[in-house]
Amino acid sequence: MIKKIKNNLLTFIVILAYILLFIFNRPIAITSVKNSGYYIKEMLMIMPIIFVLTALLDTWIDKQTIMKFLGKESKSKGTLLAFILGSVSAGPIYAAFPISVMLHKKGASVKNIVIILSTWAVVKVPMLINEVKFLGFKFMTIRWLLTIIAILIFASIMNVFVKDEDLAVDKAFCDGKVNLNIRACIGCGICSKKYPELFEVDNKKAKLKNLNQINEKKLQEAIKNCPVNAINK
Amino acid sequence: MDIFTLAMWIITILFMIYSFIKDKKKTINALKNAIRMGRSMVLNILTVILIIGLVLAFIPAESIATFIESQNPIIATIGSALAGTVTLIPAFIAFPLVGTLVNASVNIVAAVAFLTTLTMVGIVTFPLEKKEFGLKFAISRNVLSFIFAILIAIVMGAIL
Repeated sequence: MIKKIKNNLLTFIVILAYILLFIFNRPIAITSVKNSGYYIKEMLMIMPIIFVLTALLDTWIDKQTIMKFLGKESKSKGTLLAFILGSVSAGPIYAAFPISVMLHKKGASVKNIVIILSTWAVVKVPMLINEVKFLGFKFMTIRWLLTIIAILIFASIMNVFVKDEDLAVDKAFCDGKVNLNIRACIGCGICSKKYPELFEVDNKKAKLKNLNQINEKKLQEAIKNCPVNAINK
Repeated sequence: MDIFTLAMWIITILFMIYSFIKDKKKTINALKNAIRMGRSMVLNILTVILIIGLVLAFIPAESIATFIESQNPIIATIGSALAGTVTLIPAFIAFPLVGTLVNASVNIVAAVAFLTTLTMVGIVTFPLEKKEFGLKFAISRNVLSFIFAILIAIVMGAIL
């Protein structure tokens, strides 16, 4: 129980805040719930399809293709494609997260990931129409152009700053010999059964223990038996 | 549901049917993967949403407008840019609001700064972004977006 709270501390605090509000200031609590309702509807409308689309693209598009079109060598064509991908999609910025993570894992460059995320958030046709309606065509066009230029510049800056390894937060290292992809891990516990000296399962995710000597045979067993191929050498 | 969301549903469903015909096993695996992905994100997204609901209850969009009107330009610009980062106001509320501000020719720079950080920078979505992309990526993207949002606002103030 305590471990569960610790791992989802933010969620826990928010729920606590809501409970306290309901006790001490009911009108504000009700407004908060109503506000949230709109966003929950928005989430339900877009997220299921995002997850399915991401998983399907992951299955059918191979690494070479992604690398060729969105990787470091893709140059201006990749930039253009990233812009188009971000602009034609729907949903709030977090809807872009699963797809972007998948694309990066398959070789898309940091720069193109930043472009997809930022255009996804800012360049939305329904939003632009709204902007014209309330602020005028000139206002919208200038802001749109400036935003695109800004995105191009800071995506290039980030490309220098942020390395591919920085994104791989899910990689733990043991003696530099074993990689464990926490994001893929489903916490089945097979690895910790096959090789309890090296693996342990903590809060539904596998973890590496520190070992100086790795038993090659046992490690191969664990790699072979991992149902989601989360362990690599 | 706007036409783009609808288009995404249609494209994905067609893609799924095609995938099923081509390889049933692979498709089922992909769907399982999708569920796994959803399960790992849903709690975080709900937390984000509940925070937004709370923030908007305490700081309604209208009070931001009053704030922009009443302050001197520099404080108003930075303040409204900051207000934009903590909130995620839907476009149909944000644009009319900013529209009235701009039409009343109250500080255009501040209004644009607010509009741009609103969508591009997210303090409430930050924990989620950090989890998916790592700390360095999330910080760099949000900080750079914030700086450029203010630059965009200044340039627009000069042009308009």
